[in-house]
Amino acid sequence: MTLTETRRHAPPAVVARGLTKVYGQGDARVHALRGVDVAFATGAFTAIMGPSGSGKSTLMHCLAGLDTATSGTVHIGDVELTGLGDRRLTLLRRERIGFVFQAFNLLPTLTAEQNIRLPLEIAGRRADQVLFDRVIRTVGLRDRLGHRPTELSGGQQQRVAVARALISKPQVIFADEPTGNLDSRSGAEVLSFLRSSVRELGQTIVMVTHDPMAASYADRVVFLHDGELVTELDAPTPQSVLDTLMRLEG
Amino acid sequence: MLKTAVAGLRAHRLRLLLTSLAITLGVGFIAGTFVLTDTLKAGFSQRITAEADKVAVAVLPRERDPARPGEQAPVLSASLLERLRALPGVTDARGLVRGQAPLLGKDGKAAGDMATSGISVASGPLNRTTIVSGTGPGSDDGAAVLDENTAKTHGFQVGDTITVLDQEKRAHQFKLVGLLDPGVDQELAYTGAVGFTTATAQRMTGEKGFREIDVAGADPARLKRAVAAAADPGAEVVTGAELAGRLARQAGVETEALTVGLLMFGLVAMMVAALVIYNTFNILVAQRTREMALLRCIGATRGQVFGSILIESAVVGVVSSVLGLLTGYGLGAVTMAVLRAYDAPLPTGASVTLSPATIVIGLTVGLVVTVGAALLPARTATRVAPVAALRAQAEEQTFRTGLLRALLAAAFLLAGLGAAGVGALVMDPGQASLFVVMAGGAVTFLGVLILGPVLVRPLSALVGWVPRKLFGVPGRLAVDNSGRNPRRAATTTVALTIGVTLMTLISVVTASTRVTVAAKLDEQFPVDYLLATQDRDSSIPRSVGESLRKRPELAKVVQIRDTTATSGDTPVLVGTFAGPLEPDVTAGSARALAAGQVAVAASVAADLGVRVGDSLPVRTKRAGTVSLKVVALLGDESPLPSLTVAEPEFDRYFGKLPDSQVLVNIKDGVPAGQARKVVDAATAAYPTLKVASSTEVRGEFDETLDMVLMIITGLLGLAILISLLGIANTLSLSVHERTRESALLRALGLTRPQLRRMLSVEALVLGLIGALVGVALGGVFGWAAVRAMIDGASFSVPGGQIALFVALSGLAGVLAAVLPARRAARASIVGSLAAT
Ligand SMILES: Nc1ncnc2c1ncn2[C@@H]1O[C@H](COP(=O)(O)OP(=O)(O)O)[C@@H](O)[C@H]1O
Ligand SMILES: [Mg+2]
Repeated sequence: MTLTETRRHAPPAVVARGLTKVYGQGDARVHALRGVDVAFATGAFTAIMGPSGSGKSTLMHCLAGLDTATSGTVHIGDVELTGLGDRRLTLLRRERIGFVFQAFNLLPTLTAEQNIRLPLEIAGRRADQVLFDRVIRTVGLRDRLGHRPTELSGGQQQRVAVARALISKPQVIFADEPTGNLDSRSGAEVLSFLRSSVRELGQTIVMVTHDPMAASYADRVVFLHDGELVTELDAPTPQSVLDTLMRLEG
Repeated sequence: MLKTAVAGLRAHRLRLLLTSLAITLGVGFIAGTFVLTDTLKAGFSQRITAEADKVAVAVLPRERDPARPGEQAPVLSASLLERLRALPGVTDARGLVRGQAPLLGKDGKAAGDMATSGISVASGPLNRTTIVSGTGPGSDDGAAVLDENTAKTHGFQVGDTITVLDQEKRAHQFKLVGLLDPGVDQELAYTGAVGFTTATAQRMTGEKGFREIDVAGADPARLKRAVAAAADPGAEVVTGAELAGRLARQAGVETEALTVGLLMFGLVAMMVAALVIYNTFNILVAQRTREMALLRCIGATRGQVFGSILIESAVVGVVSSVLGLLTGYGLGAVTMAVLRAYDAPLPTGASVTLSPATIVIGLTVGLVVTVGAALLPARTATRVAPVAALRAQAEEQTFRTGLLRALLAAAFLLAGLGAAGVGALVMDPGQASLFVVMAGGAVTFLGVLILGPVLVRPLSALVGWVPRKLFGVPGRLAVDNSGRNPRRAATTTVALTIGVTLMTLISVVTASTRVTVAAKLDEQFPVDYLLATQDRDSSIPRSVGESLRKRPELAKVVQIRDTTATSGDTPVLVGTFAGPLEPDVTAGSARALAAGQVAVAASVAADLGVRVGDSLPVRTKRAGTVSLKVVALLGDESPLPSLTVAEPEFDRYFGKLPDSQVLVNIKDGVPAGQARKVVDAATAAYPTLKVASSTEVRGEFDETLDMVLMIITGLLGLAILISLLGIANTLSLSVHERTRESALLRALGLTRPQLRRMLSVEALVLGLIGALVGVALGGVFGWAAVRAMIDGASFSVPGGQIALFVALSGLAGVLAAVLPARRAARASIVGSLAAT
């Protein structure tokens, strides 16, 4: 079997069923998620799209165990997140999840290399040196490893963050607007790097974005609108994503 | 601008609360000092007025002539009393007798270290003695009263029979009819007092004259003139009101000393509080850079920004000073309650009050310190450029060691350490050298203050070495964080350093004093028992020493005799010794003193201005003025009198006087209990002759030192407490700054306990840095101070105590981190990630 076929037959990495999230109470109630059913295939690069305020970040936070949903279930692999205490959730994040945030991804006191190795050290695991070298090579950061975040450009910082997420071989990486703060060239670099890590390392990535260009790097795009999953696109192009968005908003 | 200042206060309530607490504690201590001493003063004056009100006019003997220190205290004669009684307008006159009347304890030995004072208790309206239970002696010559404290320590109760020695050391028995309160008389409180009728008091003490004559009658002013005309020349005549003023002044001097002493600690506390405030405002300003910049963008002037920070600090200052005054009132009240509960010999009657002066001082100090400490941060705030509002993220503070800073620090350190070195090593021990060392200490401290930010990184690496290994990732991150903002960390830790430095210094000084004194005692005469009378006078029959010398249980018995004589106009103590004693000779030789030779205590030789080889005229009782050749100088810890001559010569000069001291050593192998029995048996017949064992003496000395150490450490504890508030404050501000960082770490899998541990370790490192610098400074200057105070001092470092200080500082740091750490760990990850 080819890598692609294995992936096709593998169970999904993340599954959400009937996910709702309500913020606030009384008049101030906001339904950020209204019953979302979604599955993210193992070894695939999936983008979550939608207009601002549609609930993308909320969905990601609930999927990643950073926040608890009001109702519904989330599975990461075979583990159900619902009802796990803070400690179990923390350990789960440590073992199975990687993160890339929009900004402030790195600890300013640590060098790039220390930042990359941080999750492994928190977990008390040793880095897979072959993987480390490969990741560093792909990200193209070899000569930047000793630098601190303030000495790196925005794009370089995000690449360090991606490298950090990859190094612990998580079951899934969640990226929330990873290119939101970057110029288009650096953004493209980070995105192609994300895509190649899916292709070459078999990494599962779920990326939140509102940029059609960014979404087009994914294998599949799911669209959120007002807290509901409205549609999805396979093998998206910038144009098809844009069209779908126009249709949703229009 | 007032509005923004108030909004700022509101937004940073918690942090400002911690800051206020620092000021509150400092002001509270200062106010408490004043409340306490004011209350004591009020108590004294109540007592004094109550006593002096009974007296219309008092006659006091002329003052003791300062040029003749050996002279007996002048007294008023009985004939004067008779003359005064006969004056028209005088309704009554009483002479006050005071002398020694040693009370015997239940063991048959004289009670206490000092002979009890025997006093007359007048009957009738001129009775100034406060009887607190039972009655006064009235006119019963067989009755006596005791002061409460002595009665309590020696277990006497009203109705008991007590034994008191007269001046011939004959025992007399009295019925204890009441207890008296010595009131404001510090001498009586110290020696203990036994009161009799005037006649008995004269008989017992052997005093024929009076210390004071109190006169009752109408119109004190006219009476004063009449009495003054009748009184002896030189005697002083004052009205009751004037007497009260004089007594109040004496009491005032004592409370003043207490006030000054306590205020020193208040000053240290305020200094630490100032550092804490300075740091807090600095951090607040740094965190509000964008807010300030925005204000500037929308048109606020620099002056307005400056003003808004100062207004903020002024509000904090006023609020916390008011709280401080309340705290001070509470502290004063509690201290008074404790004094009362322990029956301290202080007037605790007056009600505790917060005087207007205290309120003004408290508010001023609190306000000035707070606003003063906020000045520099406020100036920093005015430097914020309006464009800073547009920058996305506050920049990580960087710190580079400037050349100016390095030069300045080096200059201060060199000057400070140099001065300390000169004071300790070059100058003669004394007040001047101690002062030089202290000044050196202050200058060095300034140097450390300047150098602080440079020291933080290497020190945090040093003390962080173990936590790094021990606590994994949280430990490593914590150590990095502790040195991350060197300026902030330095100010935070310096506050703790002040307290730890002083504590270490005090404990080094006491430990060194202890070993120095012990070593000198051992060197001089490793004596097991010291026999001396309560008055340390020459009245031990020589037979006591001679009989002890024959005992096989004892190895050495040395008998020392002395008496006062004069050399020129200077009174000196001349004496001799018999027995195996090797005096500690600092110059010349004291072996086999020949006729006409004298060994002089070094300090006395300096006073008299003589050296080895000089001759010294001494006026003796029997041989007229003799000229003695100085052959040796003796160390000042020598048990020998200041002028020591050969025994036959002493007898020729002064006659065969009894011994003043007998020093006894036990033979090796004889149990102490057995030897003690021998010595006790030999002294049993002489009630005022007391036996002190060297272990007892050393024990008492140690106890006194321990007590001093405990009190000072306790008072310095306040400074430490305030500096801990500073650590808690800095940490909680840092936690606030690093909200997103903590959230990121939590997202990456750091558990809540790990995050808490990270902050605890950071505080631990800060605490340890502060403690280490303090211990180093305290050790160095403790050494210098000891060298500067005592000649030939041994230096001792109380390792256990210092290790305890360091450990406690670390622990205290961890405690200070509890709240900030809990808050950081509780924060929701998602919420914190979104925070700007
Ligand atoms: N902590 C919160 N409290 C209240 N409402 C929130 C909170 N976080 C998000 N929301 C609301 O939930 C909705 C979805 O937000 P979010 O998931 O951040 O959207 P997106 O990431 O797609 O822009 C929005 O209407 C937002 O205002
Ligand atoms: Mg979002």
